[in-house]
Order: sequence, then C-alpha cells, then structure tokens
Amino acid sequence: MNDFYVILTASLVAINCALMGSFLVMRKMVMIGDAISHAVLPGIFIAYMVSGVTTNLVVLAGAALSGILATVLIEWFTKKVRLQNDASIGISYTLLFALGVILISRYGQKVDLDQECVLYGDIELTVLNIREIFSGFYLPSQSVVLMAVLAILLLAVILGYKGLLLTTFDPAFAASAGVSIGVWHYVLMSGVSLTTVVSFDSVGAILVISFLAGPPAIAYLLTERLKTLLFLASGIGVICSILGYYLAKAWDASVAGSISIVIGVSFVLVFFAVQLAKRKQSVISLE
Amino acid sequence: MSKEPTLIEAHNLTVVYGRKPALWNVDFEIPGKQVIGIMGPNGSGKSTLLKSIMGVVEPTSGFTKVYDQDIDDVRDRISYVPQRQDIDWDFPASVWDVVSMGRFAQRGLFKRLNKEDQDIIAQSLDKVGMLSFSKRQISQLSGGQQQRVFLARALAQQGELFLMDEPFAGVDISTEEMIIDLLKEMKEEGKTLVIVHHDLHTAQSYFDWLVLLNTRLVASGPVSEVFNDKTLSDTYGGKLTTMSKITQVLENKEFPIRHK
Ligand SMILES: Nc1ncnc2c1ncn2[C@@H]1O[C@H](COP(=O)(O)OP(=O)(O)OP(=O)(O)O)[C@@H](O)[C@H]1O
Ligand SMILES: [Mg+2]
Repeated sequence: MNDFYVILTASLVAINCALMGSFLVMRKMVMIGDAISHAVLPGIFIAYMVSGVTTNLVVLAGAALSGILATVLIEWFTKKVRLQNDASIGISYTLLFALGVILISRYGQKVDLDQECVLYGDIELTVLNIREIFSGFYLPSQSVVLMAVLAILLLAVILGYKGLLLTTFDPAFAASAGVSIGVWHYVLMSGVSLTTVVSFDSVGAILVISFLAGPPAIAYLLTERLKTLLFLASGIGVICSILGYYLAKAWDASVAGSISIVIGVSFVLVFFAVQLAKRKQSVISLE
Repeated sequence: MSKEPTLIEAHNLTVVYGRKPALWNVDFEIPGKQVIGIMGPNGSGKSTLLKSIMGVVEPTSGFTKVYDQDIDDVRDRISYVPQRQDIDWDFPASVWDVVSMGRFAQRGLFKRLNKEDQDIIAQSLDKVGMLSFSKRQISQLSGGQQQRVFLARALAQQGELFLMDEPFAGVDISTEEMIIDLLKEMKEEGKTLVIVHHDLHTAQSYFDWLVLLNTRLVASGPVSEVFNDKTLSDTYGGKLTTMSKITQVLENKEFPIRHK
C-alpha cells in the first residue's frame, strides 16, 4: 500500500505540473516555475509563524501569495525597470529566497522548517500522514490536497483553453482582438504558483522543475497538437513517476532524485528515437 | 476619389521603447474604403504604428482613433495580421487551429465554436487556397503558405478594416498575385486595407493612399500626390543603395511595372 501512496502522490504532482508546464514550455518561460518554487519560502515562513502549523491552508495561502508576489516583481522589473526578463527572474526570486533563508536562520530555531526540505522534499514521508477519506478508504493527506488543486487546474485549463492558447501562440493578435494578455498571464501564474506550492511540499523544488519542464518537452517531440500535448505530458509524467519510484527502491536512493533522472534520460532517448524515425521516413520518401 | 469620411486618425502619436522613440509626433487622418500603404525603412516604426492603432502598444503620448471611436469600441470590426516572424511557427497547432483563432474573440472565449464558425473558417481557408492544407502542422508550411494562413485567420474575423504587417514579405510571385487579387476583391466589397510594404516598384500600382514613415511622419496622402522624389528621399534618405533604387524607380515612373 505504501508503494501506491507514494506513486499516487508523485503522479498527481506530475499531472498538475504537466498541465501548467506545457503552457510554460510553449511560452519559453519554464524557469519562472523555478523562481516561484524558491520565492515561496518567505511566504511559507511568515504564514507558519503566524499560524504555527506546517500543513494547513494558511501556509498554502502564504506560499501562493509570495509566489504571485514573485511574478508581480518579475513583471515590474521587466516592464517598468526595463530589465531583461531572465535578469528580472534571477533578481526577484533570489531576493525572496534570501529573505526566506534569513527569516528562517534568524527566527527558525523555534520552528521545524528547513531549506533542505524545500529543495529536495520528502515524498517518502507522505505515507506517515494518512487520512481516512470515508470508512475504510485511506489516502495520504497530501494527495487529497493535490487532487483539489488538480480539479482547480483542470477547470482553469478547460474553461480557459482558448484564452491560454491565443495569448501563448500570438499575444499581439490576442491583444488586437481584445483578449487581455495580462489577465491570462496572471491566470497561468496563479496556477503555476498553486501547483508549485503544493508540489514542492511533497517532492521538493528540483523535482517540481523536472516535472514542469521534462514531460511537456518530451511530449512536444511527439505531437503536433496542443491538446494532445497536455494529455501526453500528463501520461509521461505518471510513467516517469512509476519508473522512478521502483528505480529508487532498487537502488535504495532518493525517490525525487530518481524520478528526475528518469525524466532526463527519457528526454534524451525520445529525442534520438524521433531523430532516427525522421531519418528513416525521409529515406523512405526518397526511394 | 476620397470623399469618404476619415477612418483612421493619429494625433501627436509618440511611442518610446526604453529611451528610443519608435514613433515621434505622428499626425494624420486617412479616409476609408481604399488600399493604404505604409512604407519606410527597417525600424522606421511601421509595425509600431499598426500596434498602436490596435492598442497592442500603449502610446507614450498622443492617441489614435478608428471610426472616430476608441479602439476598444470597434475591435470586432478590425482584423490585424501581425508580422509573420513575430510568431513561433513550431507551435503545436494545425492550419485549421490557427485560422479558428480568428473566431475566438468574435464568438466569445468561453463559447464553443459552432457550425457557422466552422463554415466561416472553411470559406476563409478556401479563399486563400489553403483548404486542402487544413490538417497540416504549421511548422510544415512554406513562408508563402504561412502568410496565407495568417490572411485566412484575418478573413475569419470578418472585419471591415484590415491592418496587415508585411503580407508580401517572403512570398513568391504567384502568392503575391493571389493576395493582390484577394485584396482587390475585398476593396470592391467596401473594405479598407492597410498594408505595410517594402517594394517601391509596386507601391504605385497597389495603393490608393500612402503613408511614408521614418519615425516621424514624412507624408500621408493620395499616392499620386505623395509618391515623389522629395518624399522618398526624405523617407529613405542617406542610404546609398536605397537612393539608387529610388532614382531607378523614379526613372521608370512613366512605365509602371506590373500594372494589371
Ligand atoms: N518591443 C520592443 N522593445 C524595444 N524596442 C522595440 C520594440 N519593438 C520595436 N522596437 C524598436 O522600435 C523601432 C521601430 O520598430 P518597428 O518594429 O515598429 O519597425 P518597422 O518599421 O516595423 O521595422 P521592420 O521593417 O524591420 O519590420 C526599432 O528601432 C525597434 O528596434
Ligand atoms: Mg515591422
């Protein structure tokens, strides 16, 4: 049962990240996910100091708020200070992350919260926090939160599909047709914040980035439709989670680390497989 | 010919990116129901002008109006065709997907496209000769085909005013002629076409009205009044290669090339 709990949690993170990551990859701004996952630290800490518990809605809200604060900062540096976008990302998140580190090292002795956990996560520990959903049916409480987020993201992606597609593919055209680039940017960024925040709690910031960038990038090699890409990226994320989990078991290694490696290796393998298939195809069409 | 009322106007329009002005104090009024050319060297603010008219770029000062109204009140009557290079053509979408975007805002972002929309999309594709390509992935299109797809998307919006950023860039003669025929047809239907263009040879035959731009407005008026030695050297002035080209064009002025 423990296997199932960990795989379920990882898969939910994978699907959430695939939904958001696909749009980030197409907008060429995946690293904003990295930025957000670091920038949430001060928000988590402050919410934690105020409420005194680690896993509750106050902490999630605090984290999500500082995630959104990070995207606002990035926008501000880019638009108003006219800094290059990647420099804006670099400055904003290191600023917030450093603020979080200082807060924790100054006041953190009283609380059980460390940066290590933020970066690497403790997916193995999800099994320690099992909740009875209804009589006789148990799930890790983290996966319950992840499911709620999945429901929100699905709603946003299904209802907002056209807006997200239009502003991602051709922002100038979208704006010319009266579709607000800003509104959809913040819809996406709120989704990314929410995803990152609930995910890195379970799997750590590094695996969140792997999940945001990897499966969508692999799916992008395999399909030519955005809708298919969303499904495929989710599926690939789940498969990588399962493989990664058993690999970690076999090697007695970190689950998050193993999944990251499986994602990275899969990308390289798929890339060469696709190149090979293309070459074969062009040989056939020459004949 | 132009007893038509003013359709597009700009007053004291200035757009500054960072510290560098892209448009400086541009002021004009243009009547509708004709083909309007916008010409000027690279970086002279042509794309910026279209984007300001569409409200995609905020003017630093001054304003523009279309149909004597704020752009937000008349968007659904205007189609905009961005410069082809502005888009990532490796995006996972088909020709049909891209053209259907022309219906998104018209139908409402949260409503399904219906049978009527499908028909409009198919007709638009047919008009540019791309219907048989509708399932094709957009990365597998030639430059000319990409341009046709963009045009089809604009047609699908069913506007009355079309702002097109370099629709002839990188297309071959047959596509250019196809587009020109289409534009003529649209003009006869009473549409207004604004076209950013680079080729001085064809300017006189394509356009009724010409806007010459070089960050500042050099000239705006009927082609017969505006296309001359002075305005062209004011627009392209200083650049040797362009200068000799202009001289050549002016020498050939009495024998317009490809006058259909
Ligand atoms: N988003 C932007 N940020 C900063 N500068 C910009 C931006 N867009 C355009 N510019 C600058 O503004 C000036 C005008 O650009 P614009 O694209 O309007 O010229 P153009 O006449 O359309 O040129 P081309 O013929 O090359 O398409 C150029 O110097 C350009 O470098
Ligand atoms: Mg341009």
